[in-house]
Amino acid sequence: MQITGMKYGMPIIRLSEFPVPQILEENATMEELESLIAKRGKCVVKPVFYGGVGKKGKAGLVKIVSSAIEAIEAKKQLFFAKHFFQNQNIQANGVTYEEFIPSAYEVYFNLSVSTVSRKVNFTLTHNGGVDIEELTPDEIVESSFDGLTGLKAYHIIDALTEINAPREIISPLAQYLPRLWNLYNDYGFTTLEINPIRMENRKGRLVPIACDFKAQFDQDNVHWKRLKLPPEIFQTDISPFEAEINQLRTYQGQSDVVVINPQGTVTAFMFGGGANSAATEVLSEKATISSDFGGNPPYEKMYQIARITYKYWLEQSNVLLIIGGKANNTDIFITFKALSDALRDYTVQHGRPELYVVAGRGGPNLIKGMTYARDTLDSLNIPYKFFGYDTSMIDVVHYAVEIDNWFRKK
Amino acid sequence: MKNKNALKCFVGVNALDEIASKDARICVMNILGNESKKVTPVSHEFSGGNVVAGVQYGRAGKLETAIGDIPVYSRLADVMKNHAFDTGVIYLPPDAVYHAVGELCHYNKKLKKIVIITEKISVKDQRLIRTICQVNKVDVFGANCLGVADSWNRVRIGGALGGDRPDETLIKGSLAIHSNSGNFSTTIAEYLKTEGFGTTTIVSSGKDVIIQFAMTEFLYAVQNDPRTKAVVLYVEPGGYYEREALAMIESGNLVFKKPIIVCVTGRWKSNLTRSCGHAGALAGSGDDALAKEKWFDDYFGGKEFDPAKPGNISKKGVRVSSIQQIPLAAKALYKKLGWGADFEAKGSLGLKPWFGNDFGLNLPLELRLPTVEAIAPYNEEIASVNKQLGVTHLRQNMRNKSGASRINAATQVAELHNVPIVELISYPLESNILFTLIKSHPEKELLPLVNICLNYLAYIDEFESSVLSKAKENQATPNAAIASVIALQGNNKIFRKAQKYMGVLLSTFSTIGLRDINDSIDLEMANKVASNLILENGDNATGFTNYLNKKVDGLLRKSPVLQFGQNYLEKNGVEDANLFMIVTVLLHTSFQSLVYKKISRETVENLLSYLTIMAKAVMLTSINPDKNKLLKAIRMQEDFSVLETSFAETAYQAIFNERPQSTNLKEFSSLLALTLTNGPGTISAKGAKESVSARNNISAAFVGFLTNTGLSHGGNGYEAVKYLLNAFKDLNIDDPAKPFDADVLKELASKKAREFLDYKNQAKLKGVARYNRIPCINHPVFKGKRVNIDPREDFIRKRLKSENIENVCWDYYHYLVEALYAVGATSNIYCVNIDAVIAVISLKLMWPLYKNGTLKESSMQDIGFLIFLIGRTVGVSAEIADHRDRGQDMDCRTPIKETKYVV
Repeated sequence: MQITGMKYGMPIIRLSEFPVPQILEENATMEELESLIAKRGKCVVKPVFYGGVGKKGKAGLVKIVSSAIEAIEAKKQLFFAKHFFQNQNIQANGVTYEEFIPSAYEVYFNLSVSTVSRKVNFTLTHNGGVDIEELTPDEIVESSFDGLTGLKAYHIIDALTEINAPREIISPLAQYLPRLWNLYNDYGFTTLEINPIRMENRKGRLVPIACDFKAQFDQDNVHWKRLKLPPEIFQTDISPFEAEINQLRTYQGQSDVVVINPQGTVTAFMFGGGANSAATEVLSEKATISSDFGGNPPYEKMYQIARITYKYWLEQSNVLLIIGGKANNTDIFITFKALSDALRDYTVQHGRPELYVVAGRGGPNLIKGMTYARDTLDSLNIPYKFFGYDTSMIDVVHYAVEIDNWFRKK
Repeated sequence: MKNKNALKCFVGVNALDEIASKDARICVMNILGNESKKVTPVSHEFSGGNVVAGVQYGRAGKLETAIGDIPVYSRLADVMKNHAFDTGVIYLPPDAVYHAVGELCHYNKKLKKIVIITEKISVKDQRLIRTICQVNKVDVFGANCLGVADSWNRVRIGGALGGDRPDETLIKGSLAIHSNSGNFSTTIAEYLKTEGFGTTTIVSSGKDVIIQFAMTEFLYAVQNDPRTKAVVLYVEPGGYYEREALAMIESGNLVFKKPIIVCVTGRWKSNLTRSCGHAGALAGSGDDALAKEKWFDDYFGGKEFDPAKPGNISKKGVRVSSIQQIPLAAKALYKKLGWGADFEAKGSLGLKPWFGNDFGLNLPLELRLPTVEAIAPYNEEIASVNKQLGVTHLRQNMRNKSGASRINAATQVAELHNVPIVELISYPLESNILFTLIKSHPEKELLPLVNICLNYLAYIDEFESSVLSKAKENQATPNAAIASVIALQGNNKIFRKAQKYMGVLLSTFSTIGLRDINDSIDLEMANKVASNLILENGDNATGFTNYLNKKVDGLLRKSPVLQFGQNYLEKNGVEDANLFMIVTVLLHTSFQSLVYKKISRETVENLLSYLTIMAKAVMLTSINPDKNKLLKAIRMQEDFSVLETSFAETAYQAIFNERPQSTNLKEFSSLLALTLTNGPGTISAKGAKESVSARNNISAAFVGFLTNTGLSHGGNGYEAVKYLLNAFKDLNIDDPAKPFDADVLKELASKKAREFLDYKNQAKLKGVARYNRIPCINHPVFKGKRVNIDPREDFIRKRLKSENIENVCWDYYHYLVEALYAVGATSNIYCVNIDAVIAVISLKLMWPLYKNGTLKESSMQDIGFLIFLIGRTVGVSAEIADHRDRGQDMDCRTPIKETKYVV
């Protein structure tokens, strides 16, 4: 759950009363554009991407223009611009026209949870405009602070002093940056990054202006919903299958899914985070989905999960894999019964799928669950192999892969 | 030895054995929550009673365990007044966890540890929990974990490590486990046994973004634990916990000198942009699985463990690619260090299918794995389960729910056991009777046997006859009259005896392991088993038994069930031989459904009760049984061959008091099939379900259904009959089955359409909104196109037409909807709906009686109702069996908040 860019970032930043430039969206009129450019003699045109997308500047996707005609030309180039980021091809869907802020400094500021300090860390440098990974330790500061009392002006002053920041930027940043902490703390952020912050000279005093925005939200913290972000922002994150399953999501988990390969041929019900990691790795591109249904799901929920999963993936699957270790708490009878009942109902509606069922599992009510599934599959004439927890879980997944290979060769 | 360490945070436990120590005393928050109430008693019992109290906000009480009750308080302040504890366990929903941590720290200054089981706690709450626990000097384990356990101390705190059988997993040994996966905490411990290794302490760390008791703290405690020789780490991507720990060791800030076996998984996860499974297992560029592998490889000075070269490892430890290699790596490491295993190796991790069936797939040899006997005690459980026949459903509130019937939302067709009722019209009544209970149709070859049984069971004795007569005399409605006789049945001695016989047969076949009706059995052994179970000696042959046996002998193949029944009867005899053989036949028809877990043992044990009640109900619909040869003969039972009559014909003759033509019988059966069910929401089904919910026996449940029906049933269909009779009054139709001049019918339809248009216009002029519509046309779901078709009606019409079964009334209905459109009375061509089907078929069947004056128009409604009663009696048996299998006592109550008081 990430967003980038000022189209959605500006209204969020404004909540903290941190200064922002004027932003126009792609439907701006010529007059509006001319007026924007007239302010500084130029404006910045950026593509709008859904989700978390960085390195736009490096990819040449940020244009600075000095006339409305040029701005429209830049819009044409950037509106559906393609960008390769984090192993994915992403396409833009719109542009923003952003007020150009002349500045002698580019400041980088980031708030995020650190697994080193196990607190929120802030990262700050006035040496922005480059990859921060390229900066030496004396050019950038990363520091944590007390999560109960929050980020204070003195944290900023200390940090900037430590890296010998120009004196003229210290006071304005110390005044404004702590405001972002309240935003971060109150709206379910896990990362909030403003980069660059440009320092505008207003009547002799520098004022920080947030010129780009990147955020990541915590799905388990409901406060991000208070931002009332339009749902399409996260549309790249969620497939229809995932959206349908997510409707069943509760705090007990039991319904985590991600589509791995829409052309996959092994559909796996994975139980537990460990099984999820291990099985996803072995199956890789063969898997239609990666899932974690652990956490002792109740029957009705497991049935619905199975029903939806079968609806989306069973027809193309050669193997239905049910995989987990020796469950501590998950009732195997309930899960196997729900999976079996849903399979029986699927068969009634769609006919018998050409499928091999492989299961590897242990835990409470194991035999009751396995024999129920066995009897169901026997009645449906669907072939199967069930392994107990005394067989290596990884070997079971490999066995499923081999069965899938055989089906593919058939 | 104590560490001279430079830990960057507070760590309360000094050595590993303090994490789950014998003297820890525990308070569980949300102790009566769904998960805790199952897990806490197991932990408490395994640990010798270490839970002193629990909190359930607003609800004091107790949690029962095998070693005594755990007191439960409605708030923590009350626990503090009565108990002392040093460990809190939290099972609360995520939003409440931070508050509970605050509460625990606030009230209990002696608190040392908190174990948080809850998952999906927000990152913000996680870091706040860390802050306040660090300030209060409390160690936290979790969240999103399965707690901690110690095999030496036999203590388990928090979650369900080792599942419901912790003794199986928590075996004393020399390896400590720290795992990001709760499930793998147990699974790794299980795997280690295969090379003879047990455990000291197991920590399920959880894998949220913030791990509270991470690798650094764990290794610190391991170093101070003399029991632990080495550690096993299971690590997922995301977070720098491991890099920090290894860096601290290498810098000397953490003294750690024991070997490590680590499994890092999740290389593939670097392709994901969203977490799935563990919230914290989503890596950035520097903390993905590859990066983590490198941290450990650099620390060990080696590479990934190669099982082919086990000696090629560092004394500092080794990284394995998957958890299955952990036991081998531990063995290799111990060997390198000159140490022995903890105990004799137990089992292996090789592929061992406990269950399998390839159904003839031509798999390559290496994939054709033969099934093997499961490890103890699962092998015994499998043997025991294999003896069980039939399904066991989860009990739940079944109000407004059914596992038997539904209305398919897409087609609007009622379905029984997932079969649309329009498909059930192809089966005769006797077949559908069995289908409602055993969820499959008996083979055609068996139908004569089924008919014999049904006709035999349909016997009405004199007292029952007199009850029926009295009810009729008192002007009881037909359903009430039938109900009065059915109510008498109770769970009578014949039912009880049949249940006993069926129980013995089922136990016999489950004991000898019969799993398929086509298998063969050792008759002698089966006899021995059955003799031990009962059976009283008695008759071995009666006239009826001999007759039935002959029919059984005439089957192409006698199943082991039938063979055994005959054999047992011949050798031993039973008190009621007739009943025994009927029960045997019924078991034969239902055995595969039982084996395939489609139906419950309870349903099969009561099969005879159900069939008897249905059969009697059919006989009780008879308007004048004494004047009908067939019914009289069935009652007399002098000539058994009469019992072979199709039960559909028996029902037909009960209603119409005459022999049906074959086409009539087919239509009659179709009509009965159409009325089998209209979903669980019908008041007829609800009557039965509510009776079951009140824990009545089967006959009373049927009474519940019968008294929940009345003359309003089939109302719209009856309106249609009236409408058609009125429309046809000037036509001379002798037999609706014979072709009638289509032009005349069309002209009539056109006339009636114009009349309707005039009437409709007049009504509109007068401002009458609720004018009388023509019954049984259009349907809210199937309207809107220029030509509307109710697919249910269309299906049945085409089916009967294909068999040259004509119906003038039906044709007229179709002409009528076209004429209504043609004259502008309707905006499109309405569909002829399913109620019209019932009306036109029943009108056709009643036509001869109506024409010859036997049947008055006023009695037609009764006949329509009786037909409905027969069909629905059969259908509702499925609801009764289903509710008995799945429902709970009183589950049909309406919650008070849904009730209303009106004035």
